[in-house]
Amino acid sequence: MSASDDHHHPAPLSPVEVRAKALEDLLVEKGVVAPGVIDAVVDAYEHDIGPLNGARVVARAWADPVYRQRLLADGTAAIAEFGFGGPEGEHIVVVENTPTVHNVVVCTLCSCYPWPVLGLPPNWYKSAPYRARMVREPRRLLSEMGLDLPTSVEVRVWDSSAETRYMVLPERPAGTEAMSEEQLAALVTRDAMIGVARP
Amino acid sequence: MSSGVDRAVTQMSGAAAPPRRNGELVFDAPWQGRAFGLALAVTERLGLPWSQFQERLIAAIAAQPDAPYYDCWIAALERLVLDHGVASASELERARTGVRRAS
Repeated sequence: MSASDDHHHPAPLSPVEVRAKALEDLLVEKGVVAPGVIDAVVDAYEHDIGPLNGARVVARAWADPVYRQRLLADGTAAIAEFGFGGPEGEHIVVVENTPTVHNVVVCTLCSCYPWPVLGLPPNWYKSAPYRARMVREPRRLLSEMGLDLPTSVEVRVWDSSAETRYMVLPERPAGTEAMSEEQLAALVTRDAMIGVARP
Repeated sequence: MSSGVDRAVTQMSGAAAPPRRNGELVFDAPWQGRAFGLALAVTERLGLPWSQFQERLIAAIAAQPDAPYYDCWIAALERLVLDHGVASASELERARTGVRRAS
């Protein structure tokens, strides 16, 4: 369920929705909050605080080669070591970027997404153009999203499903040898773990 | 957004803790996400410690233990706004009438 679903299928507001909307309208009218500020706060929780779980997993894999092996061999189990996972038993497969292979994740059918590690999917991930074009012309779409890959790098596109959800293990950036796991985690973005950016 | 409020929010526990699924905040509907953001934005803007909201949230949950979490969240935020003189009860009622007319 997204805001756009509501938009296309208007339903009467429930009493609590009326109260919530009235409170927001009144506080905006009084200048206590700007409309964009609320979006920014929600955005921060969706983008920074959710994906922090995945960032910790990636940082551990960068810092600990043995953990990295476990993560690539059985993503679900290695991620569960952090306490992240789902009672639904989703199967999380971690795919590793290398100097010659770049991985990117899509869900062509809907918006399957490894939420235990990445939080809520961004709106563009659910969009029809992303779902169609990432399969048809990944290199071009990645470039439009700000990631230009040399032709020497092979692009692998992974189609998530309800059974298998993919997460990208980005390459550890150069010059980070002295960093702690916590410092490394701060480098890892949600987009890098989807594969549309690099840390 | 101060990191102090962020920390206070993510550390809320017990009945006052926002619904989560494996560590992730769970919003059943978009308005709940907005309500979440609104409480953080208002607290920050008024320069209040997060505990000011949290105490009222705990009280709202205690008053209506069976009510959905974000219903209590809204009740707590209304209480905060009223208690700090940001808006009056009649202004809130007028705003609700406006929303009902528009929807």
